[in-house]
Amino acid sequence: MSTALNNNADGWDPLIVAFCCNWCSYAGGDLAGTSRMSYPANVKVIRVPCSGRLNPMFVLRAFQRGADGVLVAGCHPGDCHYSTGNYHSRRRLSSFKRLVEFAGFEPERFEVRWISSSEGDKFAEEMEAITGKIKALGPNRKMRDARWQNVT
Amino acid sequence: MPRTGVFICHCGTNIAGTVDIARAIDASRNFPGVVHADEYRYLCSEMGQDLIKNAINENNLDRVVVGTCSPRMHEGTFRKAAAEAGLNPYMLEVANIREHCSWVHRDIEEGTPKAIALLRAAAAKVALNDPLDSPELEVEKRALVIGGGIAGIQAAIDIAEAGYVVDVVEREPSIGGRMAQLEKTFPTLDCSACILTPKMVEAAQHPNINLITYSEVEEVKGFVGQFDVKIKMKARSIDPVKCTGCGVCYEKCPAKAPSEFEMGMTKRKAIYVPFPQAVPNVPVIDRENCLYFKKGRCQICAKECPPQAVDYEQQDQIIERRYGAIIVATGFDQLDPSSYGEYGYGQHPDILTALEFERLFNASGPTGGKVVRLSDGKPPKKVVFIQCIGSRDKARGMNYCSKICCMFTAKQAILLKEKVPDAKSYVFYIDVRTAGKGYEEFQRRAAEEYDVAYLRGQVGKIFPEGDHLVVHGVDSLSGKVVDIKADMVVLAAASIARADAPEVGRIVGINSDSYHFFNEAHPKLKPVETHTAGVFIAGACQAPKDIPDTVAQAGAAAVKAIGLLSKDVLKGEACTAIVNQAECSGCLYCEAVCPYNAINHIEIEERYHEEMHKRTVAEVNPSLCQGCGSCSVACRSGSINLKGFTNEQILAEVDAICLQR
Amino acid sequence: MAERYLEELTKIHDAVKQDLLGGRINLLLGWEKGHYWWQSRPLFAENEQDLERLTWDSFCAVNLSRYLLEELKDYQKIGVLVKGCDSRSFNRLLQDNMVARQRVVLYGLPCPGMLDYELLTATAEAELESIAEQNGIVVLRSAAGEKTVEREQLLLYKCRDCRYPDPVVYDQLLLAPRGEKEAPERYKSVTKLEEMPADERYTHWEKELSRCLRCYACRQACPYCSCRECFVEQDKPRWQGRAYQESENFLFHLVRAYHGAGRCIDCGECQRACPVNIPLQELNRKLIKDINELYGQFEAGLNADLEPPLLTYKPDDPAAFSEK
Repeated sequence: MSTALNNNADGWDPLIVAFCCNWCSYAGGDLAGTSRMSYPANVKVIRVPCSGRLNPMFVLRAFQRGADGVLVAGCHPGDCHYSTGNYHSRRRLSSFKRLVEFAGFEPERFEVRWISSSEGDKFAEEMEAITGKIKALGPNRKMRDARWQNVT
Repeated sequence: MPRTGVFICHCGTNIAGTVDIARAIDASRNFPGVVHADEYRYLCSEMGQDLIKNAINENNLDRVVVGTCSPRMHEGTFRKAAAEAGLNPYMLEVANIREHCSWVHRDIEEGTPKAIALLRAAAAKVALNDPLDSPELEVEKRALVIGGGIAGIQAAIDIAEAGYVVDVVEREPSIGGRMAQLEKTFPTLDCSACILTPKMVEAAQHPNINLITYSEVEEVKGFVGQFDVKIKMKARSIDPVKCTGCGVCYEKCPAKAPSEFEMGMTKRKAIYVPFPQAVPNVPVIDRENCLYFKKGRCQICAKECPPQAVDYEQQDQIIERRYGAIIVATGFDQLDPSSYGEYGYGQHPDILTALEFERLFNASGPTGGKVVRLSDGKPPKKVVFIQCIGSRDKARGMNYCSKICCMFTAKQAILLKEKVPDAKSYVFYIDVRTAGKGYEEFQRRAAEEYDVAYLRGQVGKIFPEGDHLVVHGVDSLSGKVVDIKADMVVLAAASIARADAPEVGRIVGINSDSYHFFNEAHPKLKPVETHTAGVFIAGACQAPKDIPDTVAQAGAAAVKAIGLLSKDVLKGEACTAIVNQAECSGCLYCEAVCPYNAINHIEIEERYHEEMHKRTVAEVNPSLCQGCGSCSVACRSGSINLKGFTNEQILAEVDAICLQR
Repeated sequence: MAERYLEELTKIHDAVKQDLLGGRINLLLGWEKGHYWWQSRPLFAENEQDLERLTWDSFCAVNLSRYLLEELKDYQKIGVLVKGCDSRSFNRLLQDNMVARQRVVLYGLPCPGMLDYELLTATAEAELESIAEQNGIVVLRSAAGEKTVEREQLLLYKCRDCRYPDPVVYDQLLLAPRGEKEAPERYKSVTKLEEMPADERYTHWEKELSRCLRCYACRQACPYCSCRECFVEQDKPRWQGRAYQESENFLFHLVRAYHGAGRCIDCGECQRACPVNIPLQELNRKLIKDINELYGQFEAGLNADLEPPLLTYKPDDPAAFSEK
């Protein structure tokens, strides 16, 4: 079963979509760059104002379009630029994460992290870590849109 | 079809070192909607910006992608350049190919495809950008200060001096607040009244300041620049215009009640001014204790009042006024230590809180300025001060440090020694914290010159023995048990938020921490702002603090308010939420999650089966919305969207990023 | 039809007749017999004549509260017969601002649980001709003869683990209350699925969801699906692809369930409405179970004044992420 879903194709390199809040995590990513840290290029960041902007449908869309892993990163709880956005996203995305796992996704495919604008090192480490985990899991085929595969 | 131009910056070799610019340009030309692609060594330079501006004009571009450093760095620069070329500034998107790409990847074969993916996502997003405008709103050039303590007074004076009208709403009959209750101030031992009273008078006489005392804010509606506020003026039962402040009324009044100002240690009359220097010097009738209001007879004050200023018929009044800015300066309370059984507070007249003890020094206080025991009127020879009652107490009280206690304790020990030269003070403490100009020196003076014994340790029990109070504690430095036969015990009870702070927060629309102290918008960089634009905080309602910090914060809040009032119109956030009211079902989940009260509901009329039907839909006030987008996720049908980060745009970015493998 | 129901029906009939004729309500939402004896479909009664078709039996499963969404556009004041689940649905609609309380009169009917015709037939092992009920026993009559089965064994899936047979909100309670019930097996299937390895679970849902016709009957039946335009039909943005394929089926079902997070009252109408028997309630119950575990016990629809858990938060909420 596992091989049918996750056939580790030759030359495969995972694609990971990371949604980062503008004020903390995206800035943490900037700091990782300014500090010349390094992490795998598999991670591509989409900037959102707040983790509270993260509609779970964006995550599912990424899986449909071929993402092998999705990460949402926001300010640490209590530090939200908009005061409550990440409190809301913590509830929303916790229940959503459990739902996608219930649908059969491996827990590592979708993760949430709190990364502050001063945690450039943490940003780089998390990107490294998720890339490693997804590489170990192999490509994601679950929920993937068959037609979209043809496009690529 | 969009006409997008893509511009890629080399940033010297910062980008070009890890991203093959030529390949990125080639790839960009094939993105949907891209009609022009160019590169430059330093795009943020004037030459670089001109390159973009010229290309916009020459190629008739209607949107722009720049592949540069982080948008947090130069988004503003490039938007301005685009605007100078005639585009709406929001028709530009930044692909962060430096911080998020060239600087974190070492290999050109890694960096180039990623840069292309990021550029593709930016191009996909910009194709869906709409021109955006910042909402403009007029500013009512009048400020409201809630709370007439030193913070409120200082803020009001600063605003008034800048030329704006300011109303100060104070709940008590007089302004002055906690500072008015103090005898001396640390570390200079200035007489508190001597430095406060002139400020109170200045506030009262300033042509730009209106004091609205014995009043409370009942409702705040509206938003920055245009707060519509309802203020309830409680009936004073005195005509302030006629009253001369002669004081005959309260001399003659036969009814008494505990004095709030004296912490209940003495009585005041039913008609009273809270303290001699009260501003305004106009008494109020406390209707709960007035014989006339209770039993329908007496009226002595009315009979005795020379200018006939007593008016029993006065009613509460509601003032409705619009303000451009609000400063909340509602101060703090002192913890009631009776719940700490071991200290015996409330069970013995010689166990006092620090604020009660402070009043003993005051010439108009309950003892006429004599420091004596309330039990027998004798001067105390041994006084034990206990620190951190309820502060730094994770188990039973507050985790925080009340900040001022170490210093006021040193002050009171010094004052005590001056009043009762043969008195000896003991201070039980956890740590002595004296950060502040001249503070450490002051505390050392108390210990060294005024013979104050500092004992590091805690008190386990206080019990009366004969005339004395035995304080049973541990000196943790020597490890010895200490029993002190004291004449008096003073408890440094924690500074806590006002009991009604949550209610005030709810009315004004600002949030609090878990102790109900009001939250600043940013703990470092926005210390007097709140998350509600146009509402500022000052003084101990934000956290415990001393007078210099309070005054400094009040000045800061005033400057923020002045800055706001000095504008004729305000420019709001452009990326705000917007409701598609035809689709909105009116469940108002968006309203529930909005941290800014920026979403209201309105009724719209709709034709259905030839008849007009009313239904509720959400509506965003773009002046209040800060663009977090939480509402757009609470909305299941996507009927509320966030401009600049729309559902369509984010999905397009996901699609574009996932295309490349 | 069992006699108990006739007696109850008379009570119901009398109560609503008085109100309909007296003008307290302009429309009564109840049930009437459908084409087959084992079907009870919604009745829209405007007058005494219509009311004669009113029925109350073991097949009145249809949730009537949901019909208020449409009918309130045409009628000023509507009476609705509500079972336990219908009343919690009503609270859902109330909380979502979909109905005005003062325009609805709720007649509460404590519910014995409704019967599952497919289960009846399967148990009878022959084409059913009729049934009779008495004291918790159902007599199945078919060509194969009579068969006696405990009523509890024949309930609809949605009724088997019902905790609140009594209406939680009503203007008049027409029948005797039955009391709260335990539902020890409510999460049995969810737990079983949780224990599977991820891939196996995916295969399970792949198989179940492959039957989905995307007819959206589940949505139509659902009291929490009250959007004016559902995400599946939107073009801007096109959240939901139109293609009939696994990826889009998953998207629909995950998002449908997620939209009920903290809101679903577990009435099971989605699953009952599904023509291809997809076990949709397990998705809903998974969310209910998790939200209860993470954010405290919450039963949607019990009280319209309690905020749904995903609209609020506590600063020290737990999270389900691998970083704590």
